[in-house]
Amino acid sequence: MKFSTNQQTSRVIILFIFLILLVMLPLVVTNYYWQHLLIMSLVASVLGMTFSMIFCCAGMVTLGTGAFIAIGAYASTLLVMKLGLSFWLALPFAVIITAMFSFAFGLVAIRNPGVAFVLLTMIFAEIITQVTGQISFFGGWGGFIMIPRPNPIGPIKFTGKLPFYYLMLFLCLLVVLVFQALYTSRIGKVWRAISLSPHLAQTVGINVYRYRLLAFVIASSAAGLAGSFYAHYAQTLAPSTFGGFFSILVQLYPILGGINFYILGPALGATIMTIVPEFLRITKEIEPIITGLLVLIIVLFYPGGILGSITQLPRLGAISISKRLKEIETWLSNMDPRR
Amino acid sequence: MLYVLIVLGLDIIIRVCNIFNFAHGHIYTLSAFIFWYIYISLHLHPVLALILTLVSMVLFGIVTYLTIFNTLQRRFTPAVTFSHRLLLSAMLSIGLMMILGRGVLLVFGGEERGAHAIFPQIIDIANVKLPLQKLIIILVAWVTMVGLFFLLYKTKTGKALRAVSSDADASSLLGINTIWIGLVGYTLACVLAGIAGAMVVPVYAVTVEMGSTIIFMSIVVMMLGGIGSYRGTILGGLIVGQMMSFGFQFIGGLCNLAIWVLFMIIIIFRPGGLLGEVLD
Amino acid sequence: MAVLEIRKISKYFGGLAAINNVDLDVFDSEILGLIGPNGAGKTTLFNSISGFYPPTSGKVIFKGADITGLRTDQIARIGISRTFQQTNLFMQATVFDNVSIGFYMHYRQPRWKAFLHTRSAKNEELVIKQKVTELLDFMGLSPMKNELAVNLPHGHQRILGVCMALGSNPELLLLDEPMTGMNPTETLVMVDLIKKIRDKGVTIVVVEHDMKAVMSLCERIFVLNYGQKIAEGKPEEIIQNSEVIEAYLGTEEE
Repeated sequence: MKFSTNQQTSRVIILFIFLILLVMLPLVVTNYYWQHLLIMSLVASVLGMTFSMIFCCAGMVTLGTGAFIAIGAYASTLLVMKLGLSFWLALPFAVIITAMFSFAFGLVAIRNPGVAFVLLTMIFAEIITQVTGQISFFGGWGGFIMIPRPNPIGPIKFTGKLPFYYLMLFLCLLVVLVFQALYTSRIGKVWRAISLSPHLAQTVGINVYRYRLLAFVIASSAAGLAGSFYAHYAQTLAPSTFGGFFSILVQLYPILGGINFYILGPALGATIMTIVPEFLRITKEIEPIITGLLVLIIVLFYPGGILGSITQLPRLGAISISKRLKEIETWLSNMDPRR
Repeated sequence: MLYVLIVLGLDIIIRVCNIFNFAHGHIYTLSAFIFWYIYISLHLHPVLALILTLVSMVLFGIVTYLTIFNTLQRRFTPAVTFSHRLLLSAMLSIGLMMILGRGVLLVFGGEERGAHAIFPQIIDIANVKLPLQKLIIILVAWVTMVGLFFLLYKTKTGKALRAVSSDADASSLLGINTIWIGLVGYTLACVLAGIAGAMVVPVYAVTVEMGSTIIFMSIVVMMLGGIGSYRGTILGGLIVGQMMSFGFQFIGGLCNLAIWVLFMIIIIFRPGGLLGEVLD
Repeated sequence: MAVLEIRKISKYFGGLAAINNVDLDVFDSEILGLIGPNGAGKTTLFNSISGFYPPTSGKVIFKGADITGLRTDQIARIGISRTFQQTNLFMQATVFDNVSIGFYMHYRQPRWKAFLHTRSAKNEELVIKQKVTELLDFMGLSPMKNELAVNLPHGHQRILGVCMALGSNPELLLLDEPMTGMNPTETLVMVDLIKKIRDKGVTIVVVEHDMKAVMSLCERIFVLNYGQKIAEGKPEEIIQNSEVIEAYLGTEEE
């Protein structure tokens, strides 16, 4: 790393403080409803990160996030309810199952990156919705209710929100760790190259297809992880839970937060989009309008997202998008710890 | 059948304006509601209502294009790739979609509007009773399409539209004002959706969710038929339209699933759709 | 003994033959010039060999093995690298990063080790960094190694392109118009660099329009016109070959 020890230390300290805050948070926020929101923010953050990974590393837009979180959720539910497994076993298995599905799907779909890929993910998401709806083994259109909570570990029982919060926090941090480890390794380097110019990457000997598949499978597995958690937290699950525009909305998280920040961006965007609408509960009616307007404003005037714009402090207002993106890239590559 | 008009509109917007318009379904809904309002609530003559609806669609198209999409597009340099442009404008259209969806609900109220046939007669042809209304829809749709083709292939504006849809940068070098053409294309697509929206009112119930359902299918249909070719999208629209109506009666629920799997297989083997070209 | 053998290669685009039945041998450690007027099919030949698209017919044999129609990254892996007519770089990355990616093939540690940031993976990173620095020195790009590729002057960008191609340690280097857009000084630098590269044991095929450079650089020249070979031989012979002169007469407007 090119950072001086001082910088490195201060970064670690900041992270540590942030972590402590996250851990202490639910002790301060005691309102059940707000705790629910926090948990949902964590879930949404993970989903946003998966979209980021696929988009920024593989260079592909996926509308299939809903499909894979559904696979994870259903797999976990079925394992627990039909096979009697404990949640703690079902969780890793659900992730593995999601990974297998995403691998199989990716194998075929990534051969056509680009618009065809988007369509394929859309169709796949719809297929999953149909399958879980039509076949009663998978719960049919009514889905599952009364999905059991996770079994207690030792003295910790999963009643109330607190244990769920810490569980999700743990899972979220796990995902962040894994993702960050990947991004800072040479795999991340390759991904960055692919995102800048897949053709050139191929010329240098990189098997672009394989790396895209890797990003896709890892990201989708993370989505499956979130799905498994969600199923046992919300305790209900139906084909419509993750259907339709869910996957489209997930895109908004990284865009809002900052498309070039693979982890913090989607986390910030997800949190905002989960929590802010609640502040405006009075105006719940026009909530989509506000969200829509927000999207328009961000894309038109702040394409770097919130984080992108903050790090650009002096410049507010409209400047050319490609120029803006270039500036962000410049700033980022000067910060690149991978060098 | 009406799919075709909407899908054509989508296709035009993508190729001429480089916008992946998620909001198109809601534009269709909007026009249906406008038509309903003018015709039913104001009790105006149907043809007048149609004209007014189309006029308002034109206005809508102009306003949204200039304020929203154009602001983005003016900033594109030739270096920005086609897929990048599509992506960013897709984001915009999602924003528009959200606003429009809820806006229509707020302005017009959320109840389902029943069908209100203008021509309730039934025509008897060879012992098959066909509702005149539906025949009129088909007639209008075909007339519109013929008109569209006439516009695209025989008029100067049409030629410009086609030029920009194949290569926007080259066209601007040739002196075609791509912004103006983009506006024309977008408005044209809105009008197409407008016609579809007006047509649907007398026959089917009009709800606020129409837009969401239809946009999803339209995107699929369009990709199936191929974004590059108009013939392809029409073919796709017709096929899917018929499949949905007939298939449902025969196979029922699982039919849906089968259709989707079929779609997927088609795309896998023919990434450009049945008749179109591969993008990106 | 030929390092690269091209046998009866043709590439048709629709009904049009971009290259037609071309035979070509490239020998070890030579610098072969590939010239011809615009549209003669030189880049098409490169593209067919390097996996950009497979030839319609014919064979490409590299060190005795048939490599016809392999993918670009597979071609890179067996030891053939190329540069592009249009400057093709990771514009938004620094010079150092650009060349680092070029060294992708050098990574031996398995990916999971990289993921876990094990010591061996980290060591490998350092080794690669070292190699990159050495290459940058060799090519004279060290002073600007932290500059964004997009900010470099054109000549340096071309050199960077060659750098990246060298990263994979190729035995055969295909240079597609490396001197495009360069002024005479830069051209001399490039000629020098190419010679230095050859001296390290790399076989080189150069496509170029700059005749002075070609003459001073290449030991053998192969001339294409309308997708077919019209001459082959030493530079002095080629200059005097009447067919070659005729082929170029149309383009020599000076």
